[in-house]
Amino acid sequence: MHMANELLSIPVATGTLAIAGASLGVICRKVRQVIAADKFALMGILGAFVFAAQMVNFQLPAMPGTSGHMVGAVLLAIILGPHLGAIVISSVVIVQCLIFQDGGLLALGCNIINIALVPSYLGYFLYRTVTNGGFSSLKAYIGAMLACVIAMEAGAILVAIEAAVSGVLVVPFSTFLITMVAIHFLVGFVEGLATVAVLAYLQQLRPDVVADSLPGTIRLSRRAVLVTLAVFAFVIGAGLSLLASDLPDGLEWSYAERPDQPDFQPVVSNPDARIAAVDDLQSKYSPLPDYSARSSKLGEVAEQQADVGAGWTSFAGVVGSVLTMALIWATACILRRRQPQ
Amino acid sequence: MHHAYIDKFAYQDSAIHRLDSRVKFLVVLVFTAVVISLPRTSLSILVCYAIGPFAVLVWAGIPVRFAFKQILLVSPFVLVLALSCPLYDRTPVAVSFGPFLWRITTGWMRCFTILAKFVVTMLALIALVSTTRFNNLLAGLQRLGLPRLLIVQLGFLYRYIFVLIDRAHHIVRARAGRKLRNLGFKTELRTAASMLGSLFIRSIDTAEHISIAMQARGFDGSWRTLWALHTHQSDWLFVLGAACYISGLYIFIKPILQ
Amino acid sequence: MTKMPEAIVIESFTYRYPDGTPALSDITLSIEHGQKVALIGPNGAGKSTLLLVMAGFVKGSGRVLVDGLEINSRNLKKIRTCLGSCLENPDDQLFMPTLFDDVAFGPLNMGLPAEQVRARVADALQTVGLGQMSDKAPHHLSAGQKRAAAVATILAMSPKIITLDEPDGSLDPRNRDNLMRLLGSLPQTLVIATCNMNFAAALADRAVLLDKGRIIADGAAEEIMSDAKLMAAHGLEIAAKK
Repeated sequence: MHMANELLSIPVATGTLAIAGASLGVICRKVRQVIAADKFALMGILGAFVFAAQMVNFQLPAMPGTSGHMVGAVLLAIILGPHLGAIVISSVVIVQCLIFQDGGLLALGCNIINIALVPSYLGYFLYRTVTNGGFSSLKAYIGAMLACVIAMEAGAILVAIEAAVSGVLVVPFSTFLITMVAIHFLVGFVEGLATVAVLAYLQQLRPDVVADSLPGTIRLSRRAVLVTLAVFAFVIGAGLSLLASDLPDGLEWSYAERPDQPDFQPVVSNPDARIAAVDDLQSKYSPLPDYSARSSKLGEVAEQQADVGAGWTSFAGVVGSVLTMALIWATACILRRRQPQ
Repeated sequence: MHHAYIDKFAYQDSAIHRLDSRVKFLVVLVFTAVVISLPRTSLSILVCYAIGPFAVLVWAGIPVRFAFKQILLVSPFVLVLALSCPLYDRTPVAVSFGPFLWRITTGWMRCFTILAKFVVTMLALIALVSTTRFNNLLAGLQRLGLPRLLIVQLGFLYRYIFVLIDRAHHIVRARAGRKLRNLGFKTELRTAASMLGSLFIRSIDTAEHISIAMQARGFDGSWRTLWALHTHQSDWLFVLGAACYISGLYIFIKPILQ
Repeated sequence: MTKMPEAIVIESFTYRYPDGTPALSDITLSIEHGQKVALIGPNGAGKSTLLLVMAGFVKGSGRVLVDGLEINSRNLKKIRTCLGSCLENPDDQLFMPTLFDDVAFGPLNMGLPAEQVRARVADALQTVGLGQMSDKAPHHLSAGQKRAAAVATILAMSPKIITLDEPDGSLDPRNRDNLMRLLGSLPQTLVIATCNMNFAAALADRAVLLDKGRIIADGAAEEIMSDAKLMAAHGLEIAAKK
């Protein structure tokens, strides 16, 4: 479920990075004033626990050979509260990117939103709504299951939206969305089972942990949650309806190319150095058009003629690069052999 | 364990290792952004961009085979999605490459481009992470503006991740040693739950001990560290070199390649 | 001339667990500066709890004074500068990304300026024999090195009293000897909880025998630890003759 850089466009990546960064900044500032000194260690350890928990896998029923494992975002939100849970899972996502290279650097914004921020707050809110009032085991388990499934689905939907708006993939949005939703229903269900089972175990041994009486957890203002959720639902709804529209892939309008107008020349075809420099700047803010898509509009014969020259320069480029790398390697080997151990 | 190797490379020494972590991070960030914004079906320029991270890895003494193994480990999701492109985009296109002329579809071009970009950006990320000690990376991120609480959290996470993974490893191995046959899903789940639960409770206990240790050394809620970062001439040279390389390829080479 | 306060004074201290079982009953103990005390007893006797009481982590009934200061929220910070606690598991005590950060943690919390902190870190690491290791990450250290590093984190605060909870646990004989030599060279008042009689005998001049939360015996280390009947009655062994 971790997004890679390559599935995103620059505007989407920078936008989500900004949102994630701003959200984390606000949460950290808010939490810092209220957090008790002994929470630091707990947050850190539970972050490490998430990694350890991912190693505990169990055989899934009806799917021999596959095994599932816990993600733990909703469990932490239930036990630590949504703010601390969000911070811990965000740190997990960052470490997954930096130490295990799971998820790209530019996709950190998306991943933090999809895996940490949304599931923590949404999951916590659902759990609290179901277990409103007194704490009972049955309500807790139903709440946890519901929270896990819906939180996972929300994350999956966001992945589909982010990928679709970026336009790197050509899978029709509806297909991608349905696939993600279906798969993550199973993922969420397994997560829910694991979360409920762990909560049950903890209820026996450390009921203080489950009943949210760990000192220092922050009470969430109901109104704040409802407002945030309303905004969020609106954004998702708007995004979904926009993307499910009739345009081909639903995305072509946002790019510099227009396949319905074959004479449209993309802005960035001029090899002039000055324009290329301006284009360099501009390209950082807008996705680039497809050279090949343009060339494919020409007839096949024209293609062959137009591309022969380009073909040789590409060849030169690739061969030259490979030779350069081989040279670097060889130089390093020689230098290393020269140096005493 | 595999995770230990990532850490070990960061403790080696080379000119790259000695660079300021902020410099390395920002260069990798910009590099990744530029590579991502390259056209969706251009492969040859990507090979040119691969030289950069490759050179850094070789110069720093990081085995390239390790880098590729890491990339392979995290590729499944991208692989599946990249392979969806040829399925949905069957626009035929002729691609000439030197003496060859291939007839494939833009879907395949997109697929290869996604995968090539993935490899190149991952190489850059691995170059960053395997040449920078995590605490230096944290110090750099803190100076770049990451919230203090998050930095503290990341520090703790990093410190105890190996400890807890080893504990989990032991528990899983203990289960493997005692499991003789498949007892059905319910038992599986209950066993997994009690393993997770005991890991969790042990984690909470460990956290309490750590908290006691912190308070025993006078901790009062304010986090104080002596992280100092200094930039040297080599850092600026690196930035200059990287900037020339990245923009040079973009401005001069890209327009003439396919 | 005012009499110098004793290092640790505990008067009739009692502490019960939340479920009511007594952890420590009616503990009265007085330790002078410079003494090396071994706190011996079987598992579950309450040794660790007693050490936590001395550091002000456990609230019960009765008085506890450290270097003349009564343990309350006002004096707590000063007491913890004066009394350093080495926990049973060094992994719990080394919680920073590098050794330098760990050893600097105490002095920084004491509010010392950067230069002084650096000097103290260098000194402490030198004393425990880890002078070149300040850049290392704790998870790269061996068990013996971790234990030495844990002691260094305390030494950097220049405490008058150091309590150690089973410091020789899971150390091989060579590391145990190194640790013994290190602790023997320290000028501070030491309170060492241990099940290992040889270790205790090598370091302590006074022994306090604890069992089921009560002080059974308190006197010269050699006398108590060579009393075979007493040792056996409380699940311990006698120290091997040197």
